[in-house]
Amino acid sequence: MVEPSLVLYGALYERALGLLEDTLRETGARYALLTDRKGFVLAHKEALWAPKPPPLDSLATLVAGNAAATQALAKLLGETSFQELVHQGERVGLYVDEAGEHALLVLVFDQSAPLGKVKLYGKRAAEGLARIAEEALAKPSRPNLDTEYREGAKALLDQLFGN
Amino acid sequence: MSTINFANREINFKIVYYGPGLSGKTTNLKWIYGKIPEGRKGEMISLATEDERTLFFDFLPLDLGEVKGFKTRFHLYTVPGQVFYNASRKLILRGVDGIVFVADSAPNRLRANAESMRNMRENLAEYGLKVEDLPVVLQVNKRDLPDALPVEMVRAVVDPEGRFPVFEAVATEGQGVVETLKEVSRLVLARVGSTT
Repeated sequence: MVEPSLVLYGALYERALGLLEDTLRETGARYALLTDRKGFVLAHKEALWAPKPPPLDSLATLVAGNAAATQALAKLLGETSFQELVHQGERVGLYVDEAGEHALLVLVFDQSAPLGKVKLYGKRAAEGLARIAEEALAKPSRPNLDTEYREGAKALLDQLFGN
Repeated sequence: MSTINFANREINFKIVYYGPGLSGKTTNLKWIYGKIPEGRKGEMISLATEDERTLFFDFLPLDLGEVKGFKTRFHLYTVPGQVFYNASRKLILRGVDGIVFVADSAPNRLRANAESMRNMRENLAEYGLKVEDLPVVLQVNKRDLPDALPVEMVRAVVDPEGRFPVFEAVATEGQGVVETLKEVSRLVLARVGSTT
């Protein structure tokens, strides 16, 4: 299976953001992210009251790596996947749920968010996001990235590393 | 393939460093990390054992900057090279846009090079990919070893048809590291838009 591109923009992106925002309000979680299975952040929202989040790239990469490993574990045990993962620390917890086949919903929460709410509203958000991801896949439009883009990118590479 | 986020106007590429155990994949990433100015790189993540052997992966996000209004970023990964870590190695290849194969110049690692390339082909095949379909750069590392094999001999084993660009490297000293990354980035970028 060649990994399909998830291209999220326009109305779909706004809907995803809206869902993440609702979920933050309903659960009391700090951060909500939609990432693809490769570990790239597709959309994210932070609660206004929450402290500055850790680097989201790192978070998304580790969550995606973890989800991939857990999925491989599930397969070993005869399941297609484990749908939701909860990691609970002393103060902070992490909720990860599949948003369809190609994306993951990540919620970071602390003691102020009841786990029951996180799971309940997390699950519901994941279902909504799965539909959005599905639609985003169905419209695989690509931007007009032409030679000009490639030349520009090459020039930046040279600039960054010296020629 | 590449992940495009129109809303944030971001284009992301995933580049994976592959190769046998101890060939220098992590050393490549560490050198690059040290070379990139602050502001252009994120945090480097290493999931390694106590003796610093890669257990799951290393990860380094690299910001190229803005091109035609699109923020362009590369995510660099390494795989654990040791034979028995294949399950995690396979996971990291998911959605890869370009590969750097780091081969070891030591005579007693020649077979390990060949084995690793065979393994890479098998793992890619599980995602429905062929090595021929992807931008691949071959880096022949550890050229400073006194008994280093000739580059052509290493190449003949991993790339008998001479299909991939080859770079000689001494990753511990940074020699050839940036050149390799630039080449694979160029190849990856060259494919953008050409598939429309």
